[in-house]
Amino acid sequence: MDRQYTTYPDKGRAVGNATFKVGAVTACLLLLTVVPLARAEDTPASEYEVKAAFLYNFLKFVDWPKTKTADSNEPMIIGVIGDDVFQNALDALERKTVGNRRVVVKRFPGMSALKKAGEREPSTPYPHLQGLRASHLLFVCPSERQHTQEILRSVEGHHVLTVADTPGFLEAGGVINLLTEEKRVHFEINLVAAKKAELRIRSAVLRLARRVYTPPED
Amino acid sequence: MQRSVFGGTWAPQWVIIWMLFSVSANTGSALSAPSRDLFDLSLEELMEIPIVTGVSRLPQASDTSSSPVTIITAEDIRASGLTTIPDILRFACGADVVQVERRRYGMGVHGLHEAFSDRTTLLIDGRPADNPVYGGPDFQGLPLLVEDIARIEVVRSPGSASWGANALTGVINVVTKKPADIPGGMAKTTVTEFGDSYTHLRWAEVRPTSSYRLSAGYEDVKNSEDALDGTADYQSGVPALNPLMGFDTYVARDFSRNLRIDSEAFFDLSDVTKLSVGLGHSHLESGDHELGGYYPRENDREDHLRSYARLDRHLENQRSVSLQWMGKYWDTNWPTVTQLTTQQHELESQYRFTHHEDHETNVGASFRWDHIDSDPSASRPELARYFDAPLNEYNTGLFAIDRWKLSERWTLEGQLRGDYYTGTGADWSGRLTTLTGLDPNHHHVLRFSAAKAFRAPLAQLREASMTRIPIGGGLYVINLTPPDDLDNEQIFSLESGYTARLSRTLRLQCDVFYQRFEDLIGYRGTTNQLGQLAATADNIDGARAWGGDLELALDTAWGKAAVWYSYNDFEPDQSGQVLLAFLPPEHKMGLRFRRRFASDFSFNVNYAYVDTTRGNGMTGDNDLDVSHRLDLTVSKTLAKDRGEVVLGVSDLLTKTQDPVRESLAFTGHEFPGRTFFFSLLLRF
Repeated sequence: MDRQYTTYPDKGRAVGNATFKVGAVTACLLLLTVVPLARAEDTPASEYEVKAAFLYNFLKFVDWPKTKTADSNEPMIIGVIGDDVFQNALDALERKTVGNRRVVVKRFPGMSALKKAGEREPSTPYPHLQGLRASHLLFVCPSERQHTQEILRSVEGHHVLTVADTPGFLEAGGVINLLTEEKRVHFEINLVAAKKAELRIRSAVLRLARRVYTPPED
Repeated sequence: MQRSVFGGTWAPQWVIIWMLFSVSANTGSALSAPSRDLFDLSLEELMEIPIVTGVSRLPQASDTSSSPVTIITAEDIRASGLTTIPDILRFACGADVVQVERRRYGMGVHGLHEAFSDRTTLLIDGRPADNPVYGGPDFQGLPLLVEDIARIEVVRSPGSASWGANALTGVINVVTKKPADIPGGMAKTTVTEFGDSYTHLRWAEVRPTSSYRLSAGYEDVKNSEDALDGTADYQSGVPALNPLMGFDTYVARDFSRNLRIDSEAFFDLSDVTKLSVGLGHSHLESGDHELGGYYPRENDREDHLRSYARLDRHLENQRSVSLQWMGKYWDTNWPTVTQLTTQQHELESQYRFTHHEDHETNVGASFRWDHIDSDPSASRPELARYFDAPLNEYNTGLFAIDRWKLSERWTLEGQLRGDYYTGTGADWSGRLTTLTGLDPNHHHVLRFSAAKAFRAPLAQLREASMTRIPIGGGLYVINLTPPDDLDNEQIFSLESGYTARLSRTLRLQCDVFYQRFEDLIGYRGTTNQLGQLAATADNIDGARAWGGDLELALDTAWGKAAVWYSYNDFEPDQSGQVLLAFLPPEHKMGLRFRRRFASDFSFNVNYAYVDTTRGNGMTGDNDLDVSHRLDLTVSKTLAKDRGEVVLGVSDLLTKTQDPVRESLAFTGHEFPGRTFFFSLLLRF
């Protein structure tokens, strides 16, 4: 076997100039080709800016029972319970409408604080829950994960579309859970919970869900 | 041998300038374009918007961190089609990677890297993953599968103030995916034209109060001789020793077969208390390699077990406390080096609290015990022996990190850590950083830092003795003996950085540094009349380094593009000063590009240019020549993202890689460069 000693034939150098030219030219052309294609609507946004827009879409594509939407002058209420992760992302929603209805965002402290407030006003039954129950859509912030069951029980029978972005939310009885995968927001739906809350989620939303929990066949 | 890239009619600096100019010229339209209202977008369109998770979920966004950071995402990794972390890091700004054989790599931040270099710390989810005897990111032996990586953070500056000794030049933190991010099953396999394969199976499940992930993988990498149909060439650094080493009979044995299992589970014990546990095991069998003229041609075996348990408790008033145990076990038989059984146990506690909204402090303590046992066969005098084995070494560390937002524009962060090692004594490290927002939204941030870090030499340098290349009469050519005393290496670093969000799609990051090294460790040796070398590790002298990194990154829904350039000069105080590591290449540049198409296709390009890499060993000239690495992949998602196929080629421009010799290796061999591969991923 012939062996090379000390100085090895320099393949890297032999291809150096030529390949570098090819690489550099390819790189430049690719970059020049793609950069002008950047469009404002494709720009990345903060996680909760995107999630706020998802909430607005859910308001548009979910039908509530008439008892919840009888007065067409009343606004659509988005409740946010817990440490508000949206910061200012929901503010612009208050300039939006769904049909002819305004959108109003109401922020609630965590469940522990709500209960304490309720204890201070024993004359009113469950005052701390009235706001939650009046919401059309209730977003349960990650800080309330440990109170998920309690919150869901609190709004049972009040036709509230419950949304969160925490693992196990659907399994706990929530309706929609937002997921983050590969830097994109997706969602999953619990149709059993939606049916229980007498909400009709339109197919335009259902077909985009990562997974849909459906009621068992009778 | 050293050669500057700045030559010829296609000088790269003009290419860089052209790229920057081209991007800048097009930036205007993006900057001036009206921002479209997200509320006007449909659900389909919203699902295509890329989000910046760091803004709301991480303790620090990457553009306001106290050290410069390069982040590689899971999407980058998958699009590249690569199956080894070092190959992925080749395309990261500030990282230096040298491939020694098919699956052996040297990795460092700003140079000083070899396969077992302990000047850059590797972490997995913030837990140290370096070998306790040799140091170095031993990627191949880790129970870590590439598809489980959520992101890799390359911290491009000394990090001892947070992570203790040996984060001398930087830190690589691999963050793994959590079950909630990847519920369900996944199967992925990658095969190459040489018959190499990498298969990964995973299941993750989320329950109301718990979640878990279980991964298993098998990797099979063929020998270079098989991959090159028996045509691999060999190189010797000191031809005069060839007859003594039996060089003419050398045959590459760089195959490896690796079975990895990794698991992690999370439990909500109460509203405020969470428990997480993890267990991983890697069983690696591979061919051995020549080191110091010794090449027994027997298989290496390495069993590595990693485990941890962590308890987190949230207290009132934004306070939290955590307690963590980490256990690591290695049972290794490296016929070229030695036989070792080691275990490492570490307890770490942290207490995090806020003084008020803008002032946060994190204090903690750690205690570590290393037990190192080695009893190599008496019939193998070449194997490394450790004085007074088994060794029990202890380390205690105390640290504090304080971040204070002094005003809307000014933030101050201080880090201070003190360590005591039974092997090397007490030392300290620190970092002081100011961050200045140049605008109210902090889209333009200036950073100034001063840092001190240290490297505490591991047992291999302090305790090992070794002889190599017999010449008869019980005499050897190479004779390494442990030093009487070895001080810590020190680094003092001054850094400045500018980060700009030029638009919602375009980011610019520019960092410069000046570093002073003291007491750098190398081998000091003398050769007698018989040609015998007697060497021992010693603090030889210092060095200085300076340079900078520039990266421009575009991230949109249709794809990503980034160009980067790094300059790094390194001057040892003594010419020929042995550092047992490769020095940083002076110039590097890279390009990452990914374009998604509506038809579920995407096209990915990774390119890296690396200037001459100066070797720095005891076995002859081992400089590495200029290299160009170009990887291309085309991928297509299947069945509404339930699957993906990738067709790609790595190292397109180089059919075979020239031999690479580390600082204590006399020989090297050719190995495959250009490699076509195919991968299939299925989710269920």
